[in-house]
Amino acid sequence: MKAFRRFAIFTTAATYFLIFLGGLVRVSGAGLGCPDWPKCFGRWFPPISYRHLPPEFDPNLFNFSLAWIEFGNRLVGLLVGFLIAVLAVWAIAKYRHAPKILVPSIIAVLLVAFQGWQGGQVVLSELAPFLVSIHLIIAFIIAGLMVYISQQAYYLEFQDTEKEAVYPGWIKNATWLLWLMVIGQVIFGTRIREAIETTIEQFPLVASSEIIGKLGYVKYLHPLWGVAVVVLTWIISYSILKKSRAPSPLAWQSAWTMAGLALLQIVFGLVMIFSGLPEVVQALHLWIAGLMTGMVLIALAVVAHKKER
Amino acid sequence: MSEKQKYPKMLIWLVAALIVLAAFAAFVVHQANLSRSKISVWGELPDFQFTAAHNGEPFGLEQMKGRLTVVNFIFTNCKSACPIMTPNFAELYKLYKGSEKIQLVSITVDPERDSLPVLREYARAYGVTDDRWVFLWAPTEEVVRLCEQGFMLPADNLPMGHTTKFTLVDCDGAIRSYHEGLDREGMVLLKNNIRQLAGTW
Repeated sequence: MKAFRRFAIFTTAATYFLIFLGGLVRVSGAGLGCPDWPKCFGRWFPPISYRHLPPEFDPNLFNFSLAWIEFGNRLVGLLVGFLIAVLAVWAIAKYRHAPKILVPSIIAVLLVAFQGWQGGQVVLSELAPFLVSIHLIIAFIIAGLMVYISQQAYYLEFQDTEKEAVYPGWIKNATWLLWLMVIGQVIFGTRIREAIETTIEQFPLVASSEIIGKLGYVKYLHPLWGVAVVVLTWIISYSILKKSRAPSPLAWQSAWTMAGLALLQIVFGLVMIFSGLPEVVQALHLWIAGLMTGMVLIALAVVAHKKER
Repeated sequence: MSEKQKYPKMLIWLVAALIVLAAFAAFVVHQANLSRSKISVWGELPDFQFTAAHNGEPFGLEQMKGRLTVVNFIFTNCKSACPIMTPNFAELYKLYKGSEKIQLVSITVDPERDSLPVLREYARAYGVTDDRWVFLWAPTEEVVRLCEQGFMLPADNLPMGHTTKFTLVDCDGAIRSYHEGLDREGMVLLKNNIRQLAGTW
């Protein structure tokens, strides 16, 4: 059990690293670094120089840095897909009696294969904004499944960890609400990104500081909703930390983590609004959003786990 | 709960990871921006004097300096390539209507038939109303010389054999990139390069 839990946690970390790389491809503008898929300029490894391009490719398309950034995402994606496949085989072999591990493992391996193919469609569509968003949302779902599997493996190993814990009765519903609000917030965030991409397409010479002004209703909805998410996160975290009896280590850690991440998200959001959407902050904002969905899911599974026994 | 759990180690680990990843991201984004700003210089355009169709006045290298110029070669009786290339130019003309920084130049490769009035009529048909899109006329030998020796593009068997490449010329009259005028990929790259070069002003 210990080995499986450790492998699941490692795979979860690798998945989050991959999500970061995917965001980095987006913010560095490397999405078309390889114009074809699954190969890159007709080769399994991108060329070093335009002199090595097959003749059917326009040499103007080739940019060494962008090709390797995009290729890095594909390569790590392949490795993570392999890790998740191993995890699923492991679960099928050893954990058929534990559906909370088995079922998400199988869903995850199917989703990660679909994600690889869908990533190809993103490239072939020349980064259609909606397909980019779908790619991100599938990534978050896979990461959520990995978090859930790790947590269930932990519970299987430490069966008594929630035994003494007593959480306030209303907290389960509140955490459900928070989780749905976080999902909504992620979707609004992707809407902002889509609107930015469309704006740049329509006004190619717009300055980055002027872009936000050109977005629609979502430019108000996303920050306001974000403040609501922070308030609810802090209420739940405070209740887990101070109003519960003997909260489990996992509950205690997740409460601190989601409170801290929620605050960071607001800070990074403000930085983006007031300093013209710096690319690195965009990448961090996206990554923390992924962590936040995973962390709220942990809190939710804690209170749900408690209720069942 | 044991004593060693008394600090939020998960949050601390994630913030540490965040700092490392932020540094990594800064490096990658910097490399990407650097690689894009290096749009190579393929050569300098020589001086030339053609005639602009909309006012009959001379138009040459002087008129190209100070603006980003996209150049293509067309003729009005062309049935295969131009009906794709010229709408692509019209798309750029519409896209950059808010900017005086960017101009489009179409040079006729069929000066026998494409007189100035014919070119003006052609321009009108594609909705050209100002001098952000200029149509140029010159005798065949001069067009061939500019195309081959200036733009370094083939000009055999004119008018049918004209190039379908769009050439992006920067505000100093240097050739910065060539783009296939017939496909979407070429257009996407052209717009990227225009944005890039316009941004560095």
